[in-house]
Amino acid sequence: MKLDTTVPQRFVVPIGPQHPALKEPGHFEFTVDGEQVTGASVRLGYAHRGIEKATEGRNWVQNLYLLERICGICSHVHATAYCLGVERLAGVTAPPRAQAIRLLVAELERIHSHLLWLGVAAHEAGFDTLFMYSWRDRETVMDILEALTGNRVNYSANLLGGVKFDLTPELTDKIYKGLELLEERTHQYVDVVTSDATLLQRTRGVGATTREQAEELGLVGPTARASGVERDIRTEAPYAAYPDFPVQVVTATAGDLEARFVVRLQELFEAYRLIRAVLEKLPPGDLQARMPRKIKPAETVSRVEAPRGELFYFIKSNGTDQPERIKVRTPTLCNLASVCVLAIGSQLADVPMILAGVDPCFSCNDRMVTVYSGDTAHTQWTWKQLRQYGIDYYRR
Amino acid sequence: MNTIQDLFTLMFFPGGLFVLALGMSYEWVDRKLMARVQNRVGPRWFQPYADIAKLLVKEEVIPADSNRLLFIGLPILALAGALTAALYVPLAGFDPLYSFKGDLIVALYLLSLLTVCTGLAGANTTDRFSLVGATRTLTQLFSYEAPFLLAMLGPAVVARSWQINEIIADADGQWLLIVQPVGFVVALIGLLGKLEIAPFNAPEAETEIVAGALTEYSGRGLALFRLGRHVELIVGLTMVAAFYMGGVSGLPLFVLKTLLLLLILVGIQSLVARLRIDQTVGLWWRWGVLLVLAQWLVLVIWEGVQA
Repeated sequence: MKLDTTVPQRFVVPIGPQHPALKEPGHFEFTVDGEQVTGASVRLGYAHRGIEKATEGRNWVQNLYLLERICGICSHVHATAYCLGVERLAGVTAPPRAQAIRLLVAELERIHSHLLWLGVAAHEAGFDTLFMYSWRDRETVMDILEALTGNRVNYSANLLGGVKFDLTPELTDKIYKGLELLEERTHQYVDVVTSDATLLQRTRGVGATTREQAEELGLVGPTARASGVERDIRTEAPYAAYPDFPVQVVTATAGDLEARFVVRLQELFEAYRLIRAVLEKLPPGDLQARMPRKIKPAETVSRVEAPRGELFYFIKSNGTDQPERIKVRTPTLCNLASVCVLAIGSQLADVPMILAGVDPCFSCNDRMVTVYSGDTAHTQWTWKQLRQYGIDYYRR
Repeated sequence: MNTIQDLFTLMFFPGGLFVLALGMSYEWVDRKLMARVQNRVGPRWFQPYADIAKLLVKEEVIPADSNRLLFIGLPILALAGALTAALYVPLAGFDPLYSFKGDLIVALYLLSLLTVCTGLAGANTTDRFSLVGATRTLTQLFSYEAPFLLAMLGPAVVARSWQINEIIADADGQWLLIVQPVGFVVALIGLLGKLEIAPFNAPEAETEIVAGALTEYSGRGLALFRLGRHVELIVGLTMVAAFYMGGVSGLPLFVLKTLLLLLILVGIQSLVARLRIDQTVGLWWRWGVLLVLAQWLVLVIWEGVQA
């Protein structure tokens, strides 16, 4: 293929769907002028799995396991959001001990997610030593999660109406020991990200988001909190055991990458504090309440704070043992638009950093949307037509 | 008989194959130390050899929109440049194989040939990552080259000669890094820039532009470029050790001093994040050049006073 030199060309640098900066498929096109980014666009949908539709063919219990697999990093919060929603529909409340254990696992998961992000962000900045160290220390919390639930990734801690396992004194000891190490290491990381000269050159003032921008773009989670937006579902609409164990929201004002590093690391300290509080005052009692098999027609919204921000579930039941509709909105979808805004005007080298700054998770936010417009008739394609479309598309 | 001996020194020892083998071994030391610093296990001793062997037998895909001749020729030229540069430095503690007045300049420019070839190789394709990488490679060349050259010329000014073995003889085993610390630091950091390793690895920043200028290279070409990089590492380490660390007479001393330098390089590499290309240029022209020039001024005045 020869470049057509008669037409003025825009120099577009594609990032993705396959690119070393991305751990998951997404496609970004950055128009650059030298090293300066002048335009940005995003295209998603490479990891669409049709989970929302699949839930409609499974019963309430089966869906718990399916929905937990939406995200490989924050699997527990998906299950929690679903369980809390379904329990509300059925009029069941999980016992306090179960709620506390849900909180405990959620905070452990937050620790693992934030440490994972720290490593990824450091790698994008070319700081591989920090990457290796943070992932080594992340193993501590992964080991704790494995000891608690038997799994490293999809913990499967939740059941409809409760949780699956109880804490033993040995496990409590293990958690305390792990937290001690992690707390010490986190102090070290805070020190590194706020004082390392080369890292600061890549983070301070890069991708700065003002409070107004953050609110306008609808940012959520640590990304928004780094811009001074005090938005956290754990305090705004406390769920599970959060009413009994209140959270101190960590915010920063700068809104740049450094602030996002600091906010996420400070949230780790908050997580350590919460976990210790839960372990000290774990309510006694049962682990599970009885759930009905069928749920009468109703609908509800369930919101939880995932490590990346607000996770939103809409659940509608129709009187059978299967849901009528489940709609999931993950935090990445809210945050991703900010990448395209922030990238314009920045250096090409900062783009992967800005992208990593929102802690993107692509496979959980891929959706299929059908837009019904007045003039075109709504048609449904058969598999054969779809295949032909694919062949024609790539032949062009 | 003499021809055979010349051929042997050129092809096997201490030129040619020996430099390549030494380069790959040092590459392993670099990778292994880096891994240990980062709490990883690291590769086994033969990994660089295996990498090169694998690349050499791999199919080479030549992009349709690039110049075939350049695409194949540039890596050969790059490796040849680096290997030729190796002939003028005291490899493995032996006297340089060839020596003439002004060979310091020739050796340094033969080393730069590798970087220029990398840049051209990137610009030869229409791959967007390659093009950005090529721009960055050449931008970086223009930023570190002048200070690095000036830093290497510091000992030359004192020795009043631009011939490598005369400069080393003049130093007479003294560690010039004590009297010219700025030159030593700039030379060492210039070496990081030359080898495109952290924090000066913006030209091949994998998270931004995949493999930079060499993105389109797959088989033999990539192997040759990498071999060139390994040889460059050896030549660079030898030069800095010979000029600033009291010469490298004898194999044990050579290995000791160059490995010590490599250890420092690994230390720097593991402690820093990647600089953006504009930051790299700013660092070199705002600090590197000024510092070296200041030291030059001191050296020239000192020489004048002594004369």
